This record gives sequence, C-alpha cells and structure tokens, in this order.
Amino acid sequence: MIPQQNIRNFSIIAHIDHGKSTLADRILENTHAISKREMKEQILDSMDLERERGITIKLNAVSLKYTYEKKEYQLNLIDTPGHVDFSYEVSRSLAACEGAVLVVDASQGIEAQTLANLYLAMEQDLTIIPVINKIDLPNANIPKVKEELKRVLGFQEEEILLCSGKTGEGVKELIEKIITKINPPKIENEKPLRALIFDSYFDPYKGVVALIKVSEGNIKVGDSIRFMSNNADFIVTELGVHTPKEEKKEALRCGEVGYLCASIKEISNIHVGDTITHTKESATTPIHGYKQMKPMVYSGIFPIESNKYEALKEAFMKLKLNDAALFFEPETSEALGFGFRVGFLGLLHMDIIMSRLEREFNLEVIATSPSVVYEITLTNGEIIQIDSPTKMPPAVKIKEMKEPYIYTNIIVPKEYTGPIMELCQNKRGIYKSLEYIDETRVNIHYELPLSEIVYDFFDKLKSTTKGYASFDYEMIGYRESKLVKLDILLNGEVVDALSTIVHKDFAYARGRAITTKLKDLIPKQLFQIPIQACVGSKVIARENISALKKNVLAKCYGGDISRKRKLLEKQKEGKKKMKNIGSVEVPSDVFLAVLSE
Amino acid sequence: MKSVYIHIPFCKTICSYCDFCKMFYNPKWVYDYLISLKNEITDRYMGEEMSTIYIGGGTPSCLSEKELEYLLKITQIFKKEKNCEFTVECNLNDITKEKLELLKTYGVNRLSIGIESFNEKKLILMGRNHTFESAKEKIALARSLGFTNINIDLIYGFYTETKKDLKEDIKKVLKLNPEHISTYSLILSEHTLLYVNKVKPIEDEVDREFYDEICHLLKKKKYQHYEVSNFAKKNYESRHNLNYWNNREYYGFGLGASGYIDLIRYTNTLNLTKYLNQEYDGKKELLTKEDQMDNEMMLGLRKTQGINLQEFKQKYQKELSECYPIAPLMKNKELKIKNGYLFINPDKLYVMNEILIKLI
Repeated sequence: MIPQQNIRNFSIIAHIDHGKSTLADRILENTHAISKREMKEQILDSMDLERERGITIKLNAVSLKYTYEKKEYQLNLIDTPGHVDFSYEVSRSLAACEGAVLVVDASQGIEAQTLANLYLAMEQDLTIIPVINKIDLPNANIPKVKEELKRVLGFQEEEILLCSGKTGEGVKELIEKIITKINPPKIENEKPLRALIFDSYFDPYKGVVALIKVSEGNIKVGDSIRFMSNNADFIVTELGVHTPKEEKKEALRCGEVGYLCASIKEISNIHVGDTITHTKESATTPIHGYKQMKPMVYSGIFPIESNKYEALKEAFMKLKLNDAALFFEPETSEALGFGFRVGFLGLLHMDIIMSRLEREFNLEVIATSPSVVYEITLTNGEIIQIDSPTKMPPAVKIKEMKEPYIYTNIIVPKEYTGPIMELCQNKRGIYKSLEYIDETRVNIHYELPLSEIVYDFFDKLKSTTKGYASFDYEMIGYRESKLVKLDILLNGEVVDALSTIVHKDFAYARGRAITTKLKDLIPKQLFQIPIQACVGSKVIARENISALKKNVLAKCYGGDISRKRKLLEKQKEGKKKMKNIGSVEVPSDVFLAVLSE
Repeated sequence: MKSVYIHIPFCKTICSYCDFCKMFYNPKWVYDYLISLKNEITDRYMGEEMSTIYIGGGTPSCLSEKELEYLLKITQIFKKEKNCEFTVECNLNDITKEKLELLKTYGVNRLSIGIESFNEKKLILMGRNHTFESAKEKIALARSLGFTNINIDLIYGFYTETKKDLKEDIKKVLKLNPEHISTYSLILSEHTLLYVNKVKPIEDEVDREFYDEICHLLKKKKYQHYEVSNFAKKNYESRHNLNYWNNREYYGFGLGASGYIDLIRYTNTLNLTKYLNQEYDGKKELLTKEDQMDNEMMLGLRKTQGINLQEFKQKYQKELSECYPIAPLMKNKELKIKNGYLFINPDKLYVMNEILIKLI
C-alpha cells in the first residue's frame, strides 16, 4: 500500500483551449494509466458536448500511480472546467487539492480565465506549478509568456516548466515536479471522519455515486455514514477509485480521493459541497473552505408540448445530480403554461443545459429572457429579491431597486482598447483601470451591471474584437439602479414570458429592438397582429405584422393529390414548433432570439 | 360516378414553367406509345360506365390527324354514360378544322385551350407564341363546328406583370366568351426553365391583389367562382375536375398518369422506355380511412360550395365534426356551414392551407 504521505492531490487549471485536457491525457499515458491503444483523445472529457465545445463541464477524478526515486506515489488528478461560468466547479475541485498546475498556452499567453482560476487556487492556499504548454507550436513565444508569468503573476523564472501536451515533451518533468513540490495531504487518521463531496453522478445500477476526498479519519465499506447538511444516514456499499477504469476498494484513507456508493436513490439526499461523517463518533463541524455557488441568471424553461412537463422535471432532476449549481422550481406562465424557473451560473451554463435537454433527454423547450436577481426595497420597508420580471411589484410600491454588478477582466490586444471602452460605456459600465499584460495586450477593468452581460455583451465583445478578447468577471455586490419593467403585448395581450427588466434610459431602444425583432420572427397569420412595447401603461414602441395573404395549393388535380398532401403535412410539422399565445402562433425560439440585437 | 384521365406526354414546344410529364413530339414514338396505352387500358379498365373522360398532357392536340384518330378510337373501349363529359386539351396553334371535326366525330364535347396570356412580355417568358386574333379565329371555328363548352387557362403572377397587364388579359379572355376559365398563379417548380433561370416570384401581397381582381372581374361577368382557381358559367363547371375534388375514383392511363381506384392512389411510371415495355407501375399507396378523410377535406374545401356533410357521413359512417375540430374554426369564422355544406369563408380561400393544417 502506498504510504499516505506519498499521495498528491492536484488539479490542472487553464484558460479555455490552452490544452489542459490534452496535457491531462499525456499524464495518464506517462503513468501507464491507459495504453496508447486505449487512448481516446482527451479521455477525461467524457460527454459529447464537452468534446464538441472543447471545454470540460463535469469533473473527473483519476487516481494514478508513479514511481519516483524508487518510491511509489499515488497521484490524484482532479480535472476542472475552464470557463468563467463554471468557476464554482473549479472551486469545488480545488477544495479537494493541495496543489494546482497552471497551464498557459505558449502562443496565447495569460488570458482572463488564467487569472480567474489562479485567484481561486490562491484562495485555497494551493501550491501552484506554472506550465507553458504547446511549446511545439510554430507561433509559440516562450520568452514573452515567461515574461508575463513573471511580471503579472510574480513567478520565478526557475519555477516555470515548459511542456507540450501534443508531443509529450516536459510531461515527465511536470509529474516529478508535482511529486516534489506539492505537499501531501494533511494526515489526520485519528480524527472523526470528514469527507468532502466535490461531485456526484447518477449510475443506473448503483444509484447516486459521490466523488469524495477524505480530509480526516477514514471510511470503509459497511460504515454507517451521515450527510452533515441534512443528517441523512446511509450504509456505505461500495468504495473505489477511477484509474480511469473503476477499481473497487475496501476503504479510502485520509488524504485519498475516490467514489462512494451507499444505495442513495433520492438525489435530493446528496449535496455537492456537503461533508460526510460517521453516524457514530461523528465530527462536530463540516469542512470549511467550501464555496457554495448561487445561480446568477434565471430563465423560465417550458416544454413546447405541454404534456412533457413531467419529463422535463425528471430531466432537471437528473441534470442536477452532476450539476450542483443548477437550481429549478416550478413556474407557471400565462403564455407558456407549466414549466420551471431555472437558475444558472451564466449564459454558457444555460446554453449547455439547453443542449443537454435536447440531446440527452430529447426534449424541446422554450427559454425566456434570462434575468439576474434584483433586490427591491418596498415602500413599506420590506426588502425582497426577485429573479423574474413577472415577480416585480408595481412601480408605486417600489422605493428602491438594486441590481448585481461585476468587476471585469477583459484581456485584449491594445488596439481594441477604444472599441472595448465604448462597448462598456454603452452597457452602463464604470471605468476602473487598465493594465498592460505586456507591450501588446491590456487588461481592462470595468464595473458593469450583470444584466447587461446577460443581454448581448458576449456577442458584441466577440464581434468588436474579432474574437481576440478573453473575458472573465467576479461579482462585487448590489447597487442602486433606475430600473423599469418592459412589457410586450401581442395582439393586445401582455406576454408574460417576454417581459424584461431594463434600465430606464434603455427602455425605448430595447422596446424598439424587441418589437422589430418580433415582427421579423413571427410569421404572418390570418389576421393583423399589433406588437407593442409598454412601460406601465405607456406604449413606447409599436409594430404590425400584416395579415397573411396567400397560402394555398394554387392548382390541385388528379395527379397532384398525394404530393399536395405531403406539402400540407410539411407545413403542419412546422406548426408543431409553434406555441399558441392567445390567438397568435409564436415560434418557440422567439423567446431567446429577442435578446440579440 | 367514375372518370378517366389519359395522358399524352408529347409537345411541339416546351413551356418554361411546365413541370408536367412531357417530352418533345417525335413521330417515331407516338404509335408505340398509343399501342402501349391501348394495352394498359384493356388490362386495367373493368368495364364500368364512365361519367367523364379527359385527355390531357403534354399536348394531345399536337398529334397528327392519323395519330389523333388512333387515340380517339382507343377511347371507344370505354362504356360512356349518356351525358359523358369528354374533354381534350388543345394548343391554339394546333387547332385545325380537320382535327376539330375528328374530335367531334368521336364524341369530344369539351375543349380546354391553354391560352395562358395574350401579353407579349408574358408569352415570351412562358416560351409560348400566339395572338388574340388567332384565338378569336380558332374559337369561332370551334363554335361553328358545334363546340359549346370551352375552357380557357390563364396564368398570372409573372414578376414583370402589372395590374394593368392582368386586367387587359382578363378583358381579352372575356371577349372570347368561354364557358369555363381556370386561372393559376405562376408556380416556379424545380426542373423548369424559369426555375433554372432563377426567375423571381412575386410578393404574396401582389399575388393576392391579382387574385382578388380576377375574382371580382369574372364574378361581374356572371362566372361562378366554384373552386379556388376555377370559374364557370352556370351548369358549365368541369365535371371531370369536380370528380377529383369530390374525392371520387378515377382511372389514370398513360405515362406518369395518376389514378385512384379501390382505395389505391397510384402514379404510373415516368420512364418512357418502361412504359413502352408495358411496365406501367410507378408509385402506389393504399389509403387508410384517415387518409381518405384527410383527402376529402383537402379537396372538398377547395370548392366554394364545400363538403356535403350528409354525404361525408354516408361515406365514412361518422359525422365530420367528430373527425375534425371544426368548432373553434367556425367560431372565428374561418369555416361556415350552410344548407348542409361545410365551406371555407370565401375571404379565407386563398389562405386555406392555414385552415387545413389545423384540421388534418
């Protein structure tokens, strides 16, 4: 058995596309965890979606063996996602580690999420090993990136490793550095059991599987355990590690990382971030240092076919198993019927959940405009929080309204400084500072309302900088704002699912943009349809969809009948993607599409 | 009531918009074709009395007199009802005294003349060539030989066309005083010269304006608007076409012809070589009761009179209202019922697909 002081728990952190997963694969190969033949590209990214988007969503923990100076070591690699929306997942895996490998692309240099991830790791007091990756690239600029690591992040020249996930160069040195530089976990064998749940997934045969790190004490198969957040008790039925193949174990010792099964059928019994202890001789307090993340963005999600409500509920429950930050509760919309109010960490998170609903659960859904959480002080002094425009009280009852603000890291080539500043000003941004990463790139700091990011900031950022910007943000709290509710009326009726909360000064422009967009997106129907944008009872923008003038099979004789009926059936098929709102048929993608200008 | 459709695929010229089964007239194929046609009819025709016969194309009138006579002799195989409506499609330029006499001799009592337009710009775009004068002359000739039931086809909706052009066309057609007028908005189908040349369609709004204008002008001249695209003087509705729209059975003989017999909708092969080898079969589809009812709706609601509810019940042993959700559509006046007929509100006829897809 490998001595506990030979355990190393570490993560790899990086900006998106800086080669983290490829590097992880190479480490697996070097530790003979998998043979070359078994090597599927980027094995840690197990979901299709992850591979397609080149990002890691779900965590994976792999236990590897490596012999260094004749001693055997157990290296537990905990993979992390690399996008701003998923910083909560990063924090989760980091809480289970003692060290982190910070990967920077040799051709790109430091990016916004390099910084964001590094700060999270530093919060956990982790030992950081800086690595310049992709040194095989023809446009690699090692001296420049080294300079950035030294100047911006304060690393020493001799600390920095050079690597290529592609060729494998430097990977052996990296593994050895992990062993020599990262501390072993604190060994507290005698203390009562405290194990951190940092991820979970659902296995159809085993039920809920928790990924845990044993921080104190140890855990065996057959132990009676307790989840400290809700005092639910279970008997451990199986323990093990991923190598990456599943390998059952009788026990997990202090410092080790592995999976746990306990015949847990109810997904609501398990909370990522919770602490597991023994039922008897239990610990008194849960593990500290764990950051529970709250959803930042809420949207109404409704099944297109109303009889799919139960299926949608089931899907959310399953998704929640692997996604602690996903929040959902039932919501009813006059326009869209029964559905859910769903909380996400950000727009990418939302996007991923939407694709998974469609792909893995075969559900077609409508999403309403994402909303942030607003804080409202009522005239009677009461303070409420709302995550949906429909929950906004009438203007006369509102004394003050606050919205969440963020602080940005926007890293761009310096020639884009002007356009970025203009973009941020147009989004109600408050300029804070600007610093040079090197002579060609700057990091621009603004304070911005989160709601403006939710609107169309990403698209704008991408188009103004031809994709060269990298962006990350942190929440800095609530600030007072002059906000109003913008309602959209179709054929004279308010469509609750299209209401949004906007800054007073933006209401006219937004109202015009939405009505114009709706005019383009809603097909002509048998009658004329007025579209109005209103603040309170005041109409601030108006468009008309004129009545449909022609939809007929102009000629139809003996030879045409089967073919013509197929034409009709095709038209009918198209209608299935429509939602009836009052008397108006609205394509289901309209609700999200009104967001982009 | 049963009908026969016979397809003659040969044409002297190919029109730029035509997507029917057609080919250039070539005398070397015609007799072989007619022999195979005769064989097909002998094989499949079950001897019942026919209410209507319709020879279409292609251009049946482009056959030589001898070929035409051979074709007409074939039609004698059919047992005809006393007042059998017997139509032959004709191209204005093919019409001669001799051919008309031949048609008359063999019992043809209705002519369908594809005039389409008199507007020069439109005719050039269509790849057609005739004048108003020749039309007047040929129709007078037909009248003098005793043809009392003549249909004229009209196409509208070319991108060059103005409302003035359209009115001019209608005026000229009305001068010819036909018993029946069919008008079609131009369809740009794939595999047509217009489509290949990327000719633009007109806006739906303009199309509708033209349609409304046509309805208005023809109604003023006492033509009954009895189907989406068809107008007739009293008692001159096309019985052959009504048979389609009433969802009744009909034979289809000839290359690419479609028929509906014993609940099977079929289309013959479109391959001439196969057809000449007496391999007639193309597509076949056995209709379920639901298919039949859906077709009944799709076809029946094309008629301004609509669907006879009593007949529907007799045919399907069920009330129409039990099979289709008509109540909400009655409520918002998209559908109406009068004298036992269910019909589409006339001002919604040109958007009737929107109504049909709520039903079927």
